Amino acid sequence: MSGAANPVAPAEITIDEDPDRLAEFEQRIADGVLIEPGDWMPEAYRLLQLRMAEHHANSEIVGALPEGEWITRAPGMLRKLALTAKVQDEVGHGQMLYRVSQELGKSRDDMLRDLVTGKTKYHNCFNYPCPTWADIAMVQWLIDGAAIMNQKTLADGAYGPYVRTMNRINMEEAFHFKSGEDMVLTLMSGTKAQKAMTQEAFDRWWTIALAFFGPHDKPGAEDMPAMRWRMKIERNDSLRQRFVNRFAPAAIDLGLVINVVTKNEQGLVTSATPDEQLGVDESTGQWSFTEPDWDEFWKVIRGHGPCNAQRLALRRFSYEQGAWVRRAIAHGAVVTPPAA
Amino acid sequence: MSKIREQALTFGEELPPPTPDTMHWVVYTCKKPGAPFKWAGYVDAPDEALALQYAREHYGLDEACVGLITHRHEDAIDSEYALKNLEPIDASGTDGDEWTVLTLNRRGGNHQTAGVVHAPNANTALARAQASFAGSKVCSIRVVKSSQVLETNEEELLIWRHHDMSYKLARGYSKQVRSKWTRIRDEQTYEDYRQEDIADHF
Ligand SMILES: [Fe+2]
Ligand SMILES: [Fe+2]
Repeated sequence: MSGAANPVAPAEITIDEDPDRLAEFEQRIADGVLIEPGDWMPEAYRLLQLRMAEHHANSEIVGALPEGEWITRAPGMLRKLALTAKVQDEVGHGQMLYRVSQELGKSRDDMLRDLVTGKTKYHNCFNYPCPTWADIAMVQWLIDGAAIMNQKTLADGAYGPYVRTMNRINMEEAFHFKSGEDMVLTLMSGTKAQKAMTQEAFDRWWTIALAFFGPHDKPGAEDMPAMRWRMKIERNDSLRQRFVNRFAPAAIDLGLVINVVTKNEQGLVTSATPDEQLGVDESTGQWSFTEPDWDEFWKVIRGHGPCNAQRLALRRFSYEQGAWVRRAIAHGAVVTPPAA
Repeated sequence: MSKIREQALTFGEELPPPTPDTMHWVVYTCKKPGAPFKWAGYVDAPDEALALQYAREHYGLDEACVGLITHRHEDAIDSEYALKNLEPIDASGTDGDEWTVLTLNRRGGNHQTAGVVHAPNANTALARAQASFAGSKVCSIRVVKSSQVLETNEEELLIWRHHDMSYKLARGYSKQVRSKWTRIRDEQTYEDYRQEDIADHF
């Protein structure tokens, strides 16, 4: 999964560099040259890229938590194997992205600590519940689908180590998405009860997927550092539009209804009515749709979502339970002679 | 849901004391016998045995991966990263230890094994590697003393990765996804026809 499209806390960015050097750097980026180890970069670039890679890494490992809970309950051996492999992939993505972040100047332990103390964030979409198997199917279809869309653009970024990691990750995301599509298709080819369960899960996840790409872009987003330096390639609104154009017709073909919903504190749907804004402009192929509830989005980002506390508690539990292993390993690292 | 996830977790004020990061390793995998090893990713591990074990677990399950190598990040010496291609230079000699040479074809690309050189030290190894392997489609060169490169061995391959794992690949689902789409869409077409038929005739 991905975290990078979500709004990374917009802390003040001050660029205090030699103007000639900065101009040369920006020209390189404009020319499509990738930044590689040993290249000079503005301090603000390093910080922004670190924040983005770290947020992405956090999202990968927190995203694996709700899915991990479903491995033992997955229907059938094949689904269990596939879900185990997916969770392993996601944690692996986290491991790779923490490594990219380490090279940008932060230790892995500091990142894990900042995550459990809430100093850094992870993607907002993981603060919602997965009460049924159909939610797991929806996460793999809609959220991994959204993640691929976003991460494909990030693979066109300017920072070499992040780009090569993104290319590698995207291969595995394709598996997550395809197996998710298969799960949704299976459920929607099933019994009445299975179809109803899938519709309910779709109601929970459609708006979360729309909000996945982050809030509306600020005016002039293209000129702000994240896009000017090619860390972020496509505007949030444009990614969201492409997502709806791809997934709305597929959902309808499946027999799903795209609803506008209200939710309670637990993230469960309290009312659902068909989206009256929904429709396609045949001449352009663009779909119109009802916006996600942005007030709810900000509330959840600020820590008051249905599962924020639960996810962080589980991460912290794991960090504390693993402390003795890390200590043993650190001790081993001191006494093991370097490779011959 | 497991007991751990059901119970309310409580924590003390303080986090456990910080631990230093372990060594960083770079991992390359080989997709078929005789092919070069290509960059796959990284692992953090405290020693050689765990580095290989983690690498196998994390990257060795790639479809058709027949072997992998890994080395410590700090044991690798990279040349400059050229804007386009690294120019060959003049340097030759066959004295000294064996060094594994990896080349990077372009910025943002992946390193892969290209061959070996012999040299008494890292700088000479890099120069000799640049003499032999630079040119078009090489933007940077990496050398690692071959004795510092760990590799999986043959025996392990016999029990490793010899059953069908297409369930963890996108293409493992293509066929069934397509047939399920066809069935669902056909059903819809039939349902539309049936409704129209009813409307037209009754
Ligand atoms: Fe994923
Ligand atoms: Fe992922």
